[in-house]
Amino acid sequence: MRAWSKLLSAKEWSPYIAGAGLGIVTTIALGPCHKRLSGAGAYQDLSGYVGRALAPKSIYWRYVMPTGFTWEVYLFLGTFAGALVSSLMGGQFKIRTMPDAQWSSVFGPSPARRWMLVFAGTMLLEYAAGIGGGCTASLAVSGGAALAPGAFVFMAGMFGAGIPVARGLYRRKG
Amino acid sequence: MTILQPLLVGFAFGWVLQKGKLGRYETIVNVFRFTDLAVLKFLLSALAVAMLGIQSLTALGLIDAVPVAQTFLLGNLIGGLLTGVGMAWVGFCPGTVAAGAGEGRLDYLIAGGLGLYTGAVLFGLTYPSIYPQVATIANLGSVSLMQLFHVDGWLVVMLFWEMTLLLFYAIERGTFRPRTRPLHV
Repeated sequence: MRAWSKLLSAKEWSPYIAGAGLGIVTTIALGPCHKRLSGAGAYQDLSGYVGRALAPKSIYWRYVMPTGFTWEVYLFLGTFAGALVSSLMGGQFKIRTMPDAQWSSVFGPSPARRWMLVFAGTMLLEYAAGIGGGCTASLAVSGGAALAPGAFVFMAGMFGAGIPVARGLYRRKG
Repeated sequence: MTILQPLLVGFAFGWVLQKGKLGRYETIVNVFRFTDLAVLKFLLSALAVAMLGIQSLTALGLIDAVPVAQTFLLGNLIGGLLTGVGMAWVGFCPGTVAAGAGEGRLDYLIAGGLGLYTGAVLFGLTYPSIYPQVATIANLGSVSLMQLFHVDGWLVVMLFWEMTLLLFYAIERGTFRPRTRPLHV
């Protein structure tokens, strides 16, 4: 009992342990629930509320992406709650507007700049999930676990682009 | 649809993301700089365990065929490349936005949430002129490596475990030791 509470209130877990935990979660989602884990999916499923007003005749929201509070939306809300409780129990919860480390050395200390870049970056990520057929959770992890070839192509692209971008940004910063 | 099921699965998903430090900018960006390989360890551990879990449960007849993500090579590649740019640039992927927001990060909750939503709307608006063209190129459909190459599932899973354990061993032995550089706070 004591060991459990120690584990649950730990500040952080080894990435191997946390990753194995994600593996179990993925197995439960794909197996019994018959659903892929997802981060981007919730936003796709809610996009119609604005999208249909902008483009009432669009085939996308009429046939491809029916709008509503789907499994993925509740999954996303659960994800938020899980991180909230985990960080509260581990003493990591803190209201912040900026990353704790590193960001300022590359992009400067301005929160406005951080927020603008976050907006642009997440827009890109969500668009990427649309065009790629999934995000890191729904394609790389859930697709990879089911051994879909596309998942490994996606991961190759992720590291293939991420490495040069990160290196470029940090080149002069050491 | 029961609401409880996705809420519980999501809760556990957010939990492991938070405990694995995936809700932090520096964790995500540093895997691409090879200064902290936590994301790689996390991702490969998850894949190895889930592959084994699904393979075992299927073999035991406890679960039916699992949903397999679509493979359309050009789209998967473009999506992966753009995702890599976004991750290395601002330090998250769509799922970790929820995890970071749960830790109390307002840049994730507000700017990230609005960005993801805008991206989803933009994708919907441009969908008819872009997606069908991309998705029809090298489209293999909902297929697994086993079906594609007519190999046994256990063989693929064991091979993946072998390669993953070998890589973890090399990382821990220091063959690929992350370069130790001071963190810029």
